Amino acid sequence: MEELLKQIAHCVEFGKINQASPYPPDLKGKDGADELTKKALDQGATAEEILTNALIVGMGKVGVKFRENKVFVPQVLMSAKAMSAAMAHLKPLFASGAAKRKGTFIIGTVQGDLHDIGKNLVSMMVEGNGYEVIDLGVDVNADTFLTEAEKYPHAVIGLSALLTTTMVNMENIVNALKEKNPETKVCIGGAPVTQDFCNKINADLYSPDPQGLVEYLDKLAS
Amino acid sequence: MEVSITEVGPGDIDIDPAVLCGLMGIDPDDIPEPYSGIIQRELDEIKNYPNIKGGFKISGNIDILSPKGVLSYEGVEFGAGKQVVDNLSNSEMAALYICTAGEEVSRRSKELMGQGNLLEGYVTDLVGSLLVEGAMDILHEKLRNEMESKGLRVTNRYSPGYCNWNVDEQHKLFSFFPEGFCGVRLSESALMNPIKSVSGVIGIGKEVKFNKYICHACSSVNCIYRNIKHAV
Ligand code: B12
Ligand code: SF4
Repeated sequence: MEELLKQIAHCVEFGKINQASPYPPDLKGKDGADELTKKALDQGATAEEILTNALIVGMGKVGVKFRENKVFVPQVLMSAKAMSAAMAHLKPLFASGAAKRKGTFIIGTVQGDLHDIGKNLVSMMVEGNGYEVIDLGVDVNADTFLTEAEKYPHAVIGLSALLTTTMVNMENIVNALKEKNPETKVCIGGAPVTQDFCNKINADLYSPDPQGLVEYLDKLAS
Repeated sequence: MEVSITEVGPGDIDIDPAVLCGLMGIDPDDIPEPYSGIIQRELDEIKNYPNIKGGFKISGNIDILSPKGVLSYEGVEFGAGKQVVDNLSNSEMAALYICTAGEEVSRRSKELMGQGNLLEGYVTDLVGSLLVEGAMDILHEKLRNEMESKGLRVTNRYSPGYCNWNVDEQHKLFSFFPEGFCGVRLSESALMNPIKSVSGVIGIGKEVKFNKYICHACSSVNCIYRNIKHAV
């Protein structure tokens, strides 16, 4: 089993989705994350085991390589796709409560902003690291964040923005969330965001890349 | 002078697959599958983007207030910052511009992403960025040719949101164009919709210089204009 989980982790790390997918060239014709996950479940692995010992391992390696500029967005997307092929087998088990994830993360691009590539990348990385992700989309106002945060009281919130003029809307959202529940943790990111801005608006974390966020979430979850 | 619109045929913009590969971080001389197929398909798709256009509003009623870092345009003061304004010095006229790749390309990118075709959606997003920059290159070149015939030169282009020019100043810029010019709308938060749009200014004059951006002292390390091309 250990070997099988290692293979799944490898598929996620290198973006091998299923047998038919030609990428990466050295795994051409071989089983991908899709088939191997099914095989692992058939052989008695639990969803949690696969998540923890295969998917998170693979995705974690990609996250670190992305931060270090050793891989770029396309490879992350291939990994995310491989991961989601594996997750398709696991999701019913999580939904039924038969297996648990590490926590819940709610993310959205803030009011006034329509950019989503960065936010989507963050969602994929966080999901691939074992969290349930609720993606509220773009142009999300404080009320929507509040409603979702109420539904999931232990969830961590993530805010994204790509312009200095929309970044300022993060402040209202952080204030609204903290006013309702001072324990709520809010993480922020996007091209114009800085650590200074994070300090100024009392957000809990700024990270220039998804991996910093994953490490923070893991620390909270442990 | 009134505003002018130029429609750019999708076929007029030449996107170099090597540039696309560069943005994706892959070696253009050895593109593995599935990248090469996706890149080819998304470049072919460009013919289906009919609303690539942009235009200028040119005025000679301008003043360059270098020490203040201000460009006064028909009486409206743009706080474009010292770096931009220095690069506009000696301008006798200035051309404000708005240019867009249209919404189709972003719509396609979103659709692909939503269907789980992440890489395809991402490549389409990059194509959109290259399309609007490519369209603006064509408009810039056209302006340059027009001005050259009058013995005038043009500067590089400068945009609110770059080089310490506040992105919010786009509101002033848009006030010189009719509502919905080329299909572009500016939101209260200074976001242009369609997303793949750009705005800015080009200086015109007998003595203006085409300077590259002076980026070594700037903290925007990921800026797309950083030290690159733009030597039109
Ligand atoms: C490509 C690009 C364009 C393209 C396409 C725009 C688009 N977004 O689709 C074009 C040429 C059209 C363009 C136009 C403009 N742009 Co532009 N553009 C960029 C560029 C180079 C890349 C953006 C991008 O797609 N990045 C890739 C994604 C994956 O990265 P990301 O969104 O930042 O997300 C990552 C991280 O930030 C982080 N992250 C994101 N969200 C979150 C959330 C959390 C919780 C965490 C922890 C992390 C996190 O993780 C992600 C993955 O690593 C950036 C500079 C840069 N390098 O970021 C400028 C940039 C965004 N643009 C900028 C500006 C100013 C503009 C214009 C206003 C210029 C103009 N006047 O024309 C227009 C505005 C367009 C509009 N619609 O309103 C500024 C914005 C800053 C500001 N001053 O407000 C930037 C930052 C450049 C700069 N000056 O440094 N742009
Ligand atoms: S990197 Fe260069 S072009 Fe970009 S904002 Fe800085 S000075 Fe301007």
